[in-house]
Amino acid sequence: MAAGKKREAYIFVLPAFIYILFVLGYPLIYNVYLSLRNVDVKNLTKGGDVFIGLQNYIDLFKNPTFLLVLKNTFVFTIACLLFQFTIGFALALFFYQKFRLSGPIRGVLLVSYMIPMSVTGLLGKNIFSNAGLVNNLLSKIGIIGPEWLVNTSTALIAVIIMNCWVGIPFNMLLLISGLTSITPDVYESASIDGANWLQRFWYITVPLMKSSMLSVLMLGFIYTFRAFDLMYIMTAGGPLNSTDVLGTYSYMLSFTQYKFSQGSAVAMVLFGCLFIVGLFYLRLLSKED
Amino acid sequence: MKKTLLALVLAVAMLLVSVPAVLAEAPTEITLWHYFDASADAQAIVDWVDEYNSIQNEIHITATYVSRTELMNQYTVGALSGELPDIGMVDSPDMASYISLGVFEDITDQLEAWGELDQFYPGPLESCKDADGRIYGLPQNTNCLALACNMDLLKAAGYDHMPTNLAEFQEMVAATTDPADDVYGFAMSCISTEEGTFQLLPWLRSAAGGAGVNVDNLTADSAVNGLKVLGDFVANGYMSKECVNWTQSDAFNQFAAGKAALAEVGTWHLAMTDAIGGAFEYGFCLLPTGDEGTSTSTIGGENFGVCSGAENVEGCVNFLEWLCSKDKEGEWAVVAGKIPTRQDSVANYTYEVDGFNVFVDEMNYAQARGPHAEWPTISEAIYTAAQSVFVDGTDPAEALAGAMEKITPIVEANPLP
Repeated sequence: MAAGKKREAYIFVLPAFIYILFVLGYPLIYNVYLSLRNVDVKNLTKGGDVFIGLQNYIDLFKNPTFLLVLKNTFVFTIACLLFQFTIGFALALFFYQKFRLSGPIRGVLLVSYMIPMSVTGLLGKNIFSNAGLVNNLLSKIGIIGPEWLVNTSTALIAVIIMNCWVGIPFNMLLLISGLTSITPDVYESASIDGANWLQRFWYITVPLMKSSMLSVLMLGFIYTFRAFDLMYIMTAGGPLNSTDVLGTYSYMLSFTQYKFSQGSAVAMVLFGCLFIVGLFYLRLLSKED
Repeated sequence: MKKTLLALVLAVAMLLVSVPAVLAEAPTEITLWHYFDASADAQAIVDWVDEYNSIQNEIHITATYVSRTELMNQYTVGALSGELPDIGMVDSPDMASYISLGVFEDITDQLEAWGELDQFYPGPLESCKDADGRIYGLPQNTNCLALACNMDLLKAAGYDHMPTNLAEFQEMVAATTDPADDVYGFAMSCISTEEGTFQLLPWLRSAAGGAGVNVDNLTADSAVNGLKVLGDFVANGYMSKECVNWTQSDAFNQFAAGKAALAEVGTWHLAMTDAIGGAFEYGFCLLPTGDEGTSTSTIGGENFGVCSGAENVEGCVNFLEWLCSKDKEGEWAVVAGKIPTRQDSVANYTYEVDGFNVFVDEMNYAQARGPHAEWPTISEAIYTAAQSVFVDGTDPAEALAGAMEKITPIVEANPLP
């Protein structure tokens, strides 16, 4: 009987399993296969490509451009998370206070999140151009702004700022919903016991928000790490790869230079990083339970 | 009863009338994908296709606009999946890669039987061939780069003519730069895409001090000097460093807004001089990339090919032969602001006639990119070298030596034509 039930259960799981196999499994396995061969413009359709083992990965890690791209990806992701999360959290605490117009202002803040990323990229290109809005405002207070998108040292900063502009309201929204799940009674009793606002924040808000905060950080990491459209539009990865991230670099290799295997290897590195983060997230979630 | 009979007779009569139409073979439905997005050529391709549909009954073409980037991606994906249009448009330097990827049909035999191939300019036609000389399409329009000059700014700097050689050009760029008025002496595109390479090549192939070189010899003195001239412009503030993010449209817009005295522009910009709106006097001349009497430029343009697996290859080639016929080439050049790809086509330009004459003359000095299946990698090496000079102040000789490290193994394995 138990065995029969088990078999029945497997049948119910089957459709989902088939779906995952085809929609996720096939491309992933094909990508792994591609990254272990030397497929490029000369042999994609004509054949003649061979198995070369981990050579593509070895080449990548010897390639200074790839190492720069990898560094850019981590710098971009960590910087964005740091600013998005802290500012988003501060705004969430602020708008959680019930005051007049808090709703409408919150709504207005969400506009940047609702704008398509390609439009944000174009906006960024204009705002950070030499004679753009940012340098114009800086000049009004007597500062000569840098050539944001031209210098390798500042281009990534400009892209990070634009990404934070989009990410902050998203973080705020998720964190507000976390805040609303805390019952006001807890704060009330803490106040009666004489806890000040810092103690209330540190000993009540933070522990009770832990799972929300973790979700926001993990989702943020995944979204930010695989960024593509913002830099593709704003800087095309330039100047000199200073804003190239794994997503844009993989696309460039596969679709501009037709180095399909190398592009796949970069995509696998991207996948590997996100897979580790995903596992970490699942472990944390199961610990929580 | 009479009425029923009449209805019956009428029904039979109608059936008889419609039978021949059913029996006659319906034209094959053909899809054509293009990326013409300027108002003039986007409308022209629709009109041309309508005209062709009305004069023959073999195929019926539907023209669909697909953005350039999307179209390129579609070819790459389609090379494997087989999801391709019947007829496709492609930027000439990219064609070699797509031929290698198997995107286009070999239509050599039918085109040779046509007997008009010798009328095409060699550069554009070469871009439709593979390494063995087989032909996969026809060049539909061509263009090149020349110099646009703001005559008001030149006059204000004490010049009454356009530059004729590299030394004079350098002088003029320096003299017309006016930081107080936000005016740069020169504007060009050096963006990290094929557009950047397109505009850089004339200076790297500079014919200063002798013959120009090809991209397999970029460490030659003339090439290093060409890049040094541009690098010095940026270092001295004669050209905006922002050129590394400028597309060709952006660079032309700087010129049209009077923010650049001289600019490297393409043939198609002649159709956009309305943007200047009579604000200043302007003129066009050959790119002064070398000694007096020499010039170098790059050939651009679009080809059309029949995609692999097309339903009616013969019908599609017939259309290409019509599209690239003597008369149609001439008409297209005028409508779209391009240059015909055939020597026997006469383009009676109705505007900017002097400008067009300069570009037609410049075609004599213009060189094709590749054709080479790995051109995109060569291209990346070139714009990266230039960007490192402009942005990081790298020595031009060192930057070009770095580019050659990437280019040499590619051209050694498969030499340039």
